[in-house]
Amino acid sequence: MTKVRIPTPLRPKTGGKSEVEVSASNISEMIEHLETSYPGIKERLCDETGEIRRFLNIYLNEEDIRFLEGKNTPLKDTDEVSIIPAIAGGR
Amino acid sequence: MLTIPATIAEAMIAHARELAPHECCGILGGTHGDVSAHYRITNILATLSEDELERFDAPKLSDLKQLSPEERADIAFQMDSQEMGKALRDIREKELMLQAFYHSHTMSPARPSQTDITIAMEFEGYREKLNLPEPLHIIISLLDAASPDIRAYRIHNGEATEVPITRS
Repeated sequence: MTKVRIPTPLRPKTGGKSEVEVSASNISEMIEHLETSYPGIKERLCDETGEIRRFLNIYLNEEDIRFLEGKNTPLKDTDEVSIIPAIAGGR
Repeated sequence: MLTIPATIAEAMIAHARELAPHECCGILGGTHGDVSAHYRITNILATLSEDELERFDAPKLSDLKQLSPEERADIAFQMDSQEMGKALRDIREKELMLQAFYHSHTMSPARPSQTDITIAMEFEGYREKLNLPEPLHIIISLLDAASPDIRAYRIHNGEATEVPITRS
């Protein structure tokens, strides 16, 4: 099972869990399986065209999946995926 | 202590002035407190839908929802994640390290807001997994338009402590 770290703003969708486990062969499948277990999470991760939302980065271990194979990036059971919102703030 | 070359400090101020009244944001790279690389990052806040604003804390979210999308970027910023990812990768490829995130406060002092502190603390929770060093958080205030104020803070355990900046 691949370990997936859930960022604070998405934890209401996972019942407060900061880490969940998913069995998936790539990132796309991981998102689909997350949606099955935690309905509503997919639309928080992807926009209407299916792309990862512009304020989120998905890291496989320490690498941004955009610099791997994007949503086709393959996953192994020992991998750790981190969903991380880009920095924000304001006065 | 953070040392910022005068050319980079001027480029950051120019960025803040160009985007005002919107907040600007960006990233600084370097080594051991010496900044040598500057990345402007797009503030995508004005283009986010109301649902996408839910990444902000409740008080900020309530303020943002009362404003038009354009006005929202006057009081907050959201970095474009793709540009942020590219900047962090470029920093790594140049064998530099992340030194700081910066943003502007166009109408308020160069002090972190509660939203800044909350989001910086969230990032602290993710950063070690990504093998990134602890960044400082810099705010450029345009409150005194003729003499913008740049201050850096270490945000730790929910508290912001100012770190002196030297311009080289």
